[in-house]
Formats: sequence, C-alpha cells, structure tokens
Amino acid sequence: MPMTDNSAAKTGAATEGARARDRLALLTADNASVPLPAGVQAVTAILLAALLIALPWLGLGYRFLSIAITTLYTAIGLYGLGLQFGQAGIMSVGHAALMGVGAYASAILSVQLGLGFWTSLPFAMALSAIVGGVIGLPTLRVGGQHYIIITFCFCALFVIVLTNGGTFTGSATGLDVGSVTPLPGINFDKLSNNYYLVLAALFLALAATYLIGISRYGRTLRAIRENEQLARSVGINVDLHKLGVLMVSGLFAGLAGVLQLYYLRHISPTLFGAFPSLYLALMVMLGGARYLYGPLIGAVIVNFLPEVLNLDPVDSRIAYGVCLLLVILLLPGGVAAGIKNIYCALAGGFDRQGGGLNGRA
Amino acid sequence: MAALEVRGLRKQFGGVVALNGIDLDIDTDRVVGIVGPNGSGKTTLFNVVTGVHPATGGTVSWQGQDITNIGAHRIARKRLVRTFQQAMSFPGLTVDENVRIAWEQGRRGGSRWASPGMILDFVGLAPLGKAIAGSLPFGSLRRLGLAVALGVSPELLLLDEPGAGLNDSEAQAFAAVIAQLPPQGIGVCLIDHDMDMMSELCDRLIVLDFGTKIAEGPPAEVLADPKVREVYLGPDKKAALS
Ligand SMILES: Nc1ncnc2c1ncn2[C@@H]1O[C@H](COP(=O)(O)OP(=O)(O)O)[C@@H](O)[C@H]1O
Ligand SMILES: [Mg+2]
Repeated sequence: MPMTDNSAAKTGAATEGARARDRLALLTADNASVPLPAGVQAVTAILLAALLIALPWLGLGYRFLSIAITTLYTAIGLYGLGLQFGQAGIMSVGHAALMGVGAYASAILSVQLGLGFWTSLPFAMALSAIVGGVIGLPTLRVGGQHYIIITFCFCALFVIVLTNGGTFTGSATGLDVGSVTPLPGINFDKLSNNYYLVLAALFLALAATYLIGISRYGRTLRAIRENEQLARSVGINVDLHKLGVLMVSGLFAGLAGVLQLYYLRHISPTLFGAFPSLYLALMVMLGGARYLYGPLIGAVIVNFLPEVLNLDPVDSRIAYGVCLLLVILLLPGGVAAGIKNIYCALAGGFDRQGGGLNGRA
Repeated sequence: MAALEVRGLRKQFGGVVALNGIDLDIDTDRVVGIVGPNGSGKTTLFNVVTGVHPATGGTVSWQGQDITNIGAHRIARKRLVRTFQQAMSFPGLTVDENVRIAWEQGRRGGSRWASPGMILDFVGLAPLGKAIAGSLPFGSLRRLGLAVALGVSPELLLLDEPGAGLNDSEAQAFAAVIAQLPPQGIGVCLIDHDMDMMSELCDRLIVLDFGTKIAEGPPAEVLADPKVREVYLGPDKKAALS
C-alpha cells in the first residue's frame, strides 16, 4: 500500500504574496542539483567553446590575450578546487601552493635533468596529487575547519621552503625555463599557440568536471558533502573518497601550475603564497563552486575586473572584498547560480515540486 | 544460528554505561521490536551494531562473520543497514539523487531493485522525485530515510523510531510498509514507543532498561511481565494496573 503526500496541493494554494517571495527565493537559490535540459546544456557548451576558440582572432590585442591565458590556467586550478569544495565540500585556502608544487616540480626537472614541458608534466601532476592527498590526511581525523587551517599553514611553509631552497629552488628569485617543446608545426613561442595549449587543457578540465558531475563518483562526493554520517551508513568509504578527491584536485592544480610556469617562463615563491591562494578561494566562491561554469566565471571576473574598470591593485582588492560579500549575501551559489536562475525564470516553468528542468548548468 | 548475533555488548560514554552486556539473536524473516524508556540504550545499540560508535566490549557477528568495529560503511555493504532517529537525508540533493546514491552503493553484488524508481514507488515518494530533499515535509522526509536505507538492498533493516513525529494516519501507512518487508526477505528490527503498533507488527519484543535486556518474547507475554510494567509505570503504580 503506497503512502500518499498532499504537500503539492498545499503549495498550489499559496497566496500571491507568498508566490512573489517564492520567486525571489528561486532567483537567489542554489539550484546546482536541479539539472537543465540537455539541449540547453549542449548549446551553452558549443557557444562557449566557439567564443574561446575564436578569441585570438577577435583582434583584442596582446595584453587581452595574455590576461586570457592567465584566466584559463587559473580556471584549470579552480576546477580542482571546485571539485573538492563544490562537490565534496572540502575548502582549501592553500590551493596556489598546490599549483606551486606542480610548477616547481616541472621547473626543477627542467633545470636539473633537462626535461621539457611534455615529459615533466605527468611527474608534476602526480607530485601535486600526492602532496594534495598527504595534506588531506589530517582531515580524516579532524573536521573541515581544521583542514582549512592546515592548507593555510602548508601554503606558508611551502613559501618558506622555496625561499630557503638555495639554487635548487632558486630561493626568492625563483627559476627560469625555456618554452614549451614545439609539436610538429606548432611553435608555442607564439602567444596564440600558447593560448590554444592552455585552452585545450581547460577543455579537458571542463570535460572531466562534467563527467564527474553526472557520474556515480560525483554523486558519491555530493553525498559526503551533504551528510557524512548518512553517506557512511549507505556504504560509502568516506575517508577514501575524501583523500581521492583531494588527489584529483591536486592533478588539476599540477596541470595548472605547469601551464603557468611555461606561460610565465619564470616562477618565484610569491606566486604561490597566501594571497594567490586566497584569491583562488575567492574566485571559486564568486563564480559558484557547484556549477560547471562557475570556476571559469570566477576566474574571468577576478582577472578581467581590474582591466575593465581600470583599477589599481589596492582598489581591486577592495572591489573583490565587496563583490565577495555581495555574492555571499545575495547569491550563496555564486554568479553561476544567478545566471542559471535568471535563465530558468526567463524560460518559465521553474517548478520547485518537480517539473521540466533537468541537467547541470 | 541467527543472522545477527550480539554477545555481551558493552558501550560506555565516559562514566555512562549505555550498554551493559547485551545478548541478542535476530533473524531476517520477521519483525523484532526493541522497546524501553528514553535513555535505555536502544539507539546506542543500533549505533554500536552498525559501527557508528566503537564497542567498549563484546562482539557483533553478522551471517557468521565478526563485524565488531569494522567501520560503518563496511557493515552497510554487508547489507546490514539502519535508519536514524533524527530523520536524515542528503538535504541539498533531489529525492531521486538521494535514493540513487544509496542504490548505487547497494548494487555491488546485485540489488533487489532494478532501479531507484522502484524504491520511490514502494515507499510512495515517486511524485516527489524532483523535489529537493531539504524542502520535504516531515512525513515525506521520514519516508525518504526509509527509501535511502532500502536502496542499499538490506537483508536486515534497523529502524530507529521511524514513526516519531508522524501523525496517526502517516504512522499507520508507515507500519503497513514495514509489514511488507519480511515477506520480501528484508528482516526488520524496529525501535518504537507505540505499544499498540509494536504488538501488532512484531513477532518478538525485546525490552531494554539502563543498557540491560530485561525481557524478551512474544509481545503479549512481554507486556504482561511485571518487570516490564515496573519499568514503564514505576513500582508504585504496579498495583493500580493489575
Ligand atoms: N554520543 C553519546 N555521547 C555520550 N553519551 C551518549 C551518547 N549517545 C548516547 N549517550 C547516552 O547513552 C544513554 C543511552 O542513550 P540512547 O541510546 O540514545 O537511548 P535511547 O535511544 O534508548 O533513548 C543515555 O544516557 C545517553 O545520554
Ligand atoms: Mg533513541
């Protein structure tokens, strides 16, 4: 004998005022788990890919393209952070240091052993993943707040080690590398080719994030984020998955770090310290960690905002602070959540009790 | 040999002895009830058996294997599954996703459900599949808790006060669903305070008091037991009842 529920009928009888309030709530809500129709997802993906591929041909200039490259490799690092924070609920404020592990590993392999971009990349990514997992070990015993502090300490320690590493790490001056080993017919000294290299990596990161999001693995991570005790009681190995996602996040960070290294051709410890780490945390929250395009949106806003508004570094920090406060207060799901909600409101028929909209934005 | 065998189980929280040497045998073909006053250790018994808390002493064995302190997720994978006294869900996810998560875990080695949708149908939540679990009314949330536990494909289901907070008709509907489980090969061990419902549903009642089992047997017998009446009504009222 199935049981019945009459809550839907009750909602239907809501008054006009309550409905208006509902509408506002829907615009600001975090609807990451309510998917969009497959068609909408596909069109968004194609338009975005077309725009990103066409970017070097739009005649926006050298400076614009440089910022675009910075934005994209930052976004790749953010996709790792988005996975661990957005899906599994584990925030880090030391993520730049994890990118730094990849960047320095690759730079040291180049300086000491003469390994180029392509050969050092897998080692750098693997090392970032391992370090990410090792930093994560204490989280299994202590709570998430402690992990945040541990990541911050790791970040500070990493900078100290690099600064005192002598010629091995280049100390405060840092290390230099050559350019990316050319592929047949493609010379990465050309800025637009470097852009496409980073863009290809971003597409990989996006694809991986998308596939994880719709997979059983993604659901398992979200279960841990939502209720650890219940996750255990349905048979999920919470500890293993937490370590696992931190290592996957480390892979993304390592990839981003190596791309950063070979774009800048010179790295130094300050690139991977507390401030860059906090900026990464800011970007992922600003954009929306739970949304497919959230990390990219966050990276675009933070990297292009000072350029568009002509802000100096101090002003832009204040602007970020204000932005973050506004987003946290008004849009807990990030800018991506706002965009998705506006789309849903315009498309109509957003029905909390279930209805038409399926897919992640 | 019973499917679940608990021997001399002890659990201490600091100075509080929550379980003081419990022996139990529970099979998977019936509904067994556990009753006892608040604080008598019923929830702690479930918590220790399912690995939420480590045991201070004693053993738990399931289908002939020692499962004492092997970890909550390993116990769930052996299809010994529980619900929580506080209605629990993955609140930010849809009802569909909640059940799918459990179903995907229970699929290792074959699920009794061909799809998560079957579970929603069974507990009567199918129309609410797209709703966010955190926004469900309490009655539906209770049913979702049951659906998530069933999703793991349990052979024995430990239900901690599934009817708490439900109105009479909801509780009756819930009892009807529970009664359907043993014929499908899902044993039930049920904690509840509603003695009428327990007498009707359970083949056997176990009474706990201060972490000790004070009575066990068919409901009518157990409820007539003077020790049990004393626990529930206090020694001074014993005369008034009889
Ligand atoms: N996590 C805990 N920490 C400390 N004491 C606990 C904990 N859980 C239960 N207890 C204590 O154990 C005893 C039994 O509690 P419980 O098992 O919840 O009883 P019941 O479910 O029968 O009402 C109570 O005295 C309670 O205070
Ligand atoms: Mg209890």
